[in-house]
Amino acid sequence: MKPGELLRLVWMNIIQNKFKTIMTSIGIIVGAATIVMVIAIGKGGKEDVADQFKNLNAGAIDISYDGGTDERNMESGGESTGGGGMAMPQGASGGFSGNAGNAGTGGGFGGGAPSFGGDFGGGGGDFSPGEMPSGGDFGRGGFFGGGNDMQERMNQENITLDEEDVDDIETFAAGVTDVTISYTTRSSVDGGELEEAATYTIGGVKENYADMSNLSLALGEFITEADDENKEKICVLGASVAEEIFGSAIEAYGSVIYIDERSYVVNGVLETMGTVSSGISPDDSIFIPYATGVKYLVGTKVNPTITVLAEDVNNIDGVIAEVTEVLAATYPNAEFTFEDAGSKMEAAAASNEILTMLLIAMAAIVFVVGGIGIMNVLFVSVKERTNEIGILKAIGCSQKNILFEFLCEAAAISLIGGVLGVGASLLVTPVARYFGVRVELSLSAFLIALLFAVGTGTIFGFYPAYKASKLVPVEALGAET
Amino acid sequence: MNIITMQNINKSYRMGNHSLHVLKNVSLTVEKGEYLAILGPSGSGKSTLMNIIGCMDVMDEGTYCLDEVAVEHAKEKELVNIRNRKIGFIFQKYHLIPTYNVLQNIVMPLLMRGMSLNEAREASMETIEMLGLAERINHKPNELSGGQQQRVAIARALVGQPAILLADEPTGALDRNSGKEVLKLFGRLHDMGNTIVMITHDLDVAEHAKRVVRIVDGELFEGKEA
Ligand SMILES: Nc1ncnc2c1ncn2[C@@H]1O[C@H](COP(=O)(O)OP(=O)(O)O)[C@@H](O)[C@H]1O
Ligand SMILES: [Mg+2]
Repeated sequence: MKPGELLRLVWMNIIQNKFKTIMTSIGIIVGAATIVMVIAIGKGGKEDVADQFKNLNAGAIDISYDGGTDERNMESGGESTGGGGMAMPQGASGGFSGNAGNAGTGGGFGGGAPSFGGDFGGGGGDFSPGEMPSGGDFGRGGFFGGGNDMQERMNQENITLDEEDVDDIETFAAGVTDVTISYTTRSSVDGGELEEAATYTIGGVKENYADMSNLSLALGEFITEADDENKEKICVLGASVAEEIFGSAIEAYGSVIYIDERSYVVNGVLETMGTVSSGISPDDSIFIPYATGVKYLVGTKVNPTITVLAEDVNNIDGVIAEVTEVLAATYPNAEFTFEDAGSKMEAAAASNEILTMLLIAMAAIVFVVGGIGIMNVLFVSVKERTNEIGILKAIGCSQKNILFEFLCEAAAISLIGGVLGVGASLLVTPVARYFGVRVELSLSAFLIALLFAVGTGTIFGFYPAYKASKLVPVEALGAET
Repeated sequence: MNIITMQNINKSYRMGNHSLHVLKNVSLTVEKGEYLAILGPSGSGKSTLMNIIGCMDVMDEGTYCLDEVAVEHAKEKELVNIRNRKIGFIFQKYHLIPTYNVLQNIVMPLLMRGMSLNEAREASMETIEMLGLAERINHKPNELSGGQQQRVAIARALVGQPAILLADEPTGALDRNSGKEVLKLFGRLHDMGNTIVMITHDLDVAEHAKRVVRIVDGELFEGKEA
């Protein structure tokens, strides 16, 4: 039989049973849609991770003093916390240290959250001093701080990293290209088009912070060494901040904002650096000179983070050892927390990989279920059409042709299911996006889904088709249907 | 020249432990151009014999030569070819494919041979017209009367110009008039030179044939008298 004629017959059978075809292929529709979504979400996740880390130097290492260990867990009230040299997602570590604080072990917020973003410290601002018996820092600084007497007892070795440590590392640690120190805090900000003061993340940074974090400026210039030395009240705004407060970067540039009721001139506005899943990013931050912040905002209650840039990305451990040694000279008993960008990236990529694997496993299950569905329907179809198979055999249809007809039917049903599934994925995509899932559709995902659909249908369609082809003509004809 | 030469055909159906001996040492020859009726009561083994003649079923013993092919030695591939080219089978219950229209049903044997739909349509037009089905080619079988459906089945059996037409109770499902039409048609086909073997339990029907053999309880006898 000519292949074209065979396909024509297959097509006729399919369009004459549209409803049955659709019902048969539902498993495949779901399977194909799942495959497309799995690939799209996996890809989205990957790009998300890539985006989050694109401003990150792989060689960057954050060093912070972890005040939260058992022996010395008291940092001061935690008004400000270690600012990170790296803009990166760190919701998990932040949350962890928050728990530690709630559990009453007190402890500086800096512990476990060495990088950028000290939201939690400021989050406690709602507690008024009056309500809090231990008063003091608690009200202003949030609930991470412990009671005063506790603090006194355990605060004998109160360690705060400072600019001298930066100098030491710069001078004595080998394999380091650059070092900076920074902290973040939350402060009320007013000015521009703001109707009332709002709380923003403030980063106290040095002039080399922008380079080390790969920040680029849309307008103006970044904080300079002179700004820091003279404790100038100037600031650089993240792109989103500039837009929120002034409507645009151009409006923001050269204007004045009020941080904790002191005026700061906007000396520069950053380019949009991309959002980060935890919601903390340079875009949403205001940068001020390190010394200015110490003087006006955080005072001595600062727990900064030192960030070093390793010369060789493959020698992170060596650099950490070097820095540990240098710091040990100054703080013999202290333990510092090191976090390097590379491992963070790897961890994020790995968790994304696991998610993708899970999704793929899910898709595989859906396909197997869909395939079994097709097999069932084809078996029923073979049974229903036993008589027809008998007729075809009686007029000289070969086993091969019957096998092909049923196989092609299975493949065609699956192909239709695959196409509908891809269509369904297009409908699901906006919904997924609405719920904040990053979905990156791709042509290859569509093709893979179609391939899988047809493959599944053909594989599971084979057995019923084979059964049909092997029927003895006279028995097939005699079968009452 | 003999189209069919059967010798000592035996066939039993096995059902569980015991077996039913349906055809007992059946021998039969059919010459080219002959119009033969096999007459016998229900359950005598007519259909079993017909299915063996039509290469739809296998015999247990005996030799069968169909148009110079030794069927008992034929492989499945050859059997497919025989069914397609040498035999035109007409069933009591028409056995049309319900999802295909009249034309598609009729051209099926030609498509099996590798013809395209257009070629097959060309090749079957004459037969379709002869059977008065030209107006009906786009109808589905369930839109036709029994007589019309049987004419479609006859057309399907004829289009391939087989060596022999086999008809298993072709009038069995039809009303008297339609049955007469079919028998008249068989007479014409015989006059045109076709070889026809027809099965019936009805002596009146059998008498339309030029030669009658009787089958009784699986045994074959020449002539219409017991
Ligand atoms: N597939 C089968 N399995 C078992 N017995 C069968 C089968 N087909 C026919 N028979 C039996 O064989 C005998 C002959 O049947 P059949 O050839 O159909 O007779 P007829 O066509 O003359 O009515 C009957 O007794 C019938 O019950
Ligand atoms: Mg019968």
